[in-house]
Amino acid sequence: MTFYLFDRSFYIASDVLLAYITVILSGAALFYLITKANKWPTIKKYVTTTHHRKIGVLYLLSATLFFIRAGIEALIIRIQLAVPENDWWVFQGDKFNEAFTTHGTIMIFFVAMPLLIGLMNVAVPLQIGARDMAFPYMNAVSFWLFLAGAILVNMSFFMTASPNAGWTAYAPLSVSTYTPEAGNDYYVFGLQVSGIGTILAAINMIVTIVRHRAPGMKLTRMPLFPWSTLITSFLILIAFPVLTIALYILMFDRMFGTQFFTGEAGSPIYWQHLFWIFGHPEVYIIILPAFGIFSDVISTFSKKRVFGYTSMVIALAIIGLLGFMVWVHHMFTVGLGPLVNTFFAITTMLIAVPTGIKIFNWLFTMRKGLIRFTTPMLFSLGFIPTFVVGGVTGVMLSVAAADMQYHDSYFVVAHFHYTMIGGTVLGAFAGIYYWFPKMFGIKLKDTLGKWHFWLFVIGFHITFFPMHLAGLNGMPRRVYTYLPKDDVFIYNFVSTIGAFLMGLGTLAFIWNIYQSFKKPDYTGNDPWDGRTLEWSVPSPAPEHPFQPMPLVKTIDPLWEAKRNRGGKLPEAESARSAPIDVTSWQPIGLAGMMMVFSLAFIYHQTWLQIIAGIGVLSFFVIRNLTDEHVRVTREEENE
Amino acid sequence: MNTFKTERFRDKQLGFAMYLIAEAIMFATLFATYFIYTPTAINPIPEEVFEARTVIISSVFLLTSSATIHYGEKAVEKGNHKGIWIGLVTTFLLSVGFIGMEAHEFHIYYKEGFTLTENLFLSSFYILVGLHASHVLFGMGWMLVLAYQKNRIPFMNYAQKQNIFSYYWHFVDVVWIFIITLVYGPYLFY
Repeated sequence: MTFYLFDRSFYIASDVLLAYITVILSGAALFYLITKANKWPTIKKYVTTTHHRKIGVLYLLSATLFFIRAGIEALIIRIQLAVPENDWWVFQGDKFNEAFTTHGTIMIFFVAMPLLIGLMNVAVPLQIGARDMAFPYMNAVSFWLFLAGAILVNMSFFMTASPNAGWTAYAPLSVSTYTPEAGNDYYVFGLQVSGIGTILAAINMIVTIVRHRAPGMKLTRMPLFPWSTLITSFLILIAFPVLTIALYILMFDRMFGTQFFTGEAGSPIYWQHLFWIFGHPEVYIIILPAFGIFSDVISTFSKKRVFGYTSMVIALAIIGLLGFMVWVHHMFTVGLGPLVNTFFAITTMLIAVPTGIKIFNWLFTMRKGLIRFTTPMLFSLGFIPTFVVGGVTGVMLSVAAADMQYHDSYFVVAHFHYTMIGGTVLGAFAGIYYWFPKMFGIKLKDTLGKWHFWLFVIGFHITFFPMHLAGLNGMPRRVYTYLPKDDVFIYNFVSTIGAFLMGLGTLAFIWNIYQSFKKPDYTGNDPWDGRTLEWSVPSPAPEHPFQPMPLVKTIDPLWEAKRNRGGKLPEAESARSAPIDVTSWQPIGLAGMMMVFSLAFIYHQTWLQIIAGIGVLSFFVIRNLTDEHVRVTREEENE
Repeated sequence: MNTFKTERFRDKQLGFAMYLIAEAIMFATLFATYFIYTPTAINPIPEEVFEARTVIISSVFLLTSSATIHYGEKAVEKGNHKGIWIGLVTTFLLSVGFIGMEAHEFHIYYKEGFTLTENLFLSSFYILVGLHASHVLFGMGWMLVLAYQKNRIPFMNYAQKQNIFSYYWHFVDVVWIFIITLVYGPYLFY
């Protein structure tokens, strides 16, 4: 679509135009509704908060928003692929590349990650008896940096410069020689900024779990979600810096004329190594927390202690460790030689062992348990068979010789959606339904939750199961169309139907949230007859929980208290000093400045780079001069 | 005198240690990049570029500054305010010397045509050593803030802040030791 302004013609693709209209209209509607309901003070409270529950809610809210955006892209992809030689709207060629690139990037970095980090924020401190995250201010910084990065990647579409080199941004395609537009610069800076936030969040989680557990809450008594969080945080701490440097080098290639990944001496394979040394641990980063959620949910709704607690922890650790030794299985077809491929094939297969241990432990937890089929439990039950399918195809893919056939086909697409949706997304849904009372003091509706579950899971299998077959029939990933004689039409058509069922399921979820707030179903501290400490504090969780501090003597302390002490937890004599909570505009200010700084690089504005760079640095000074620890020391001295 | 090591401060120590692990991995990745691309088939080779004199002088500056900041740390523990100032000021002056030498070195390289984009050895050299230099610069800014705060905040908070800074500074020094031995060393002292 071309239009004229000041004697110059501007071209905007009709999809971008529609997106602008949608966003402006819904933004205006949102503004009106907030003003009408007089909710600006609440929003201010959330923007300036450093409280772990509120930050968790912010993570979940933004993840849901990006889930809708990237979900719409998934539907666009599916419509374009529904029939052979389709020519739908504008989504062919480069537009299609942009659609699958941003779909993948957003779903991994701005949906899966914040869903899990959000749930960690909400639940982990309460589960271990901490009064907040160890560094509340830094927690807010983590969130706003994540959001700044997410907005950068998301806004690229509106600037008609979406990243288009796939979520893996393989060189040399991602280098400026081949994609000179701003799109992949948005990718570099968006991931860089949000990656810093993620590293800080991991540090925060580690310190919280290591140093803020309630008295008596030994590591061996900790619920499995905090355990998986701890191990995941270490994975983040080791894997994300590699991404940071990979993007740093890519930035030099794209903007400052170096040729690390291209040219005569450069090596595109080096990008692949760096990306997957980060990227493979990354997929465990987004699956292990889901494992933790399922462990807690299954144990609660089977009214049994989780089966094989120790082996569950060891399995998590082994998966985490092996996760660093398998990255080449993404690169079997590169030609690194039979010895290398064999090594990485074997390490990959080994991962099936600890994962299998976990699957059997979940089954044994349910065995002879008193099972209640609530919505979170349904999601957990749906997860087990789904994830097993994903695991089995994973082992198939790990056979290097066979992978030569599977590589870059729809078989791989099916495999990773079975693990990422079947594991992470179902886990996040289970966690949201499970901990919703701790976030808002109300339960999500169970009937609508069941609609959500069945529509989503049935839709999921209809979408992704046929992709295995399409892949085995030779359909490569990342193509925007195919021919009738390719014999993949029926699989694609069925997939498209399934995708819309998943969309309906998601709508049921959003409708459920709306309904639950409209007709709130207030719950007490303990709506699920829980086993762990978070169910001993009020719902929603207060700003200063655990007064008095409980003394933990067993695994599942609340359950033990219910059975032996009439529901009353023993009290600890003293508790360690709590983190200092503050309200501050600084975190969002810093994130905003980082965004300006990134945009200055993306659009090569040297003067703005300098100003915004000084701006970013000045936040370090401002932070130091307004340090709440100084204030607290002064207050204590005056007492 | 260890009174400044409150529980909240120990949180910070652990948190900062974790942060340094992340930093260490970033530098390790850059070292790996350097090993992969050095020496390259395209000239110049490292032997033509590096000059022992500047490396040795700047190393003396930076490595001494680790000792002076350590002296500052001891002064904090003893509550010796004069010692704190001596430690902080000498560390800052030494870092100025280091950065001056580094700027001088890069300037000479550029004059001789050894620029960032000349070949991959130089590219990987600059992105590694340049990142280290920017860490030193950041640390210098940090020291200015510390000096500003020294008499304006309770001593306990100052002690905590300087303690965290000294971790940072030692880390930057350790990275430099790796740079001398792994980046310069093989081509200068063989």
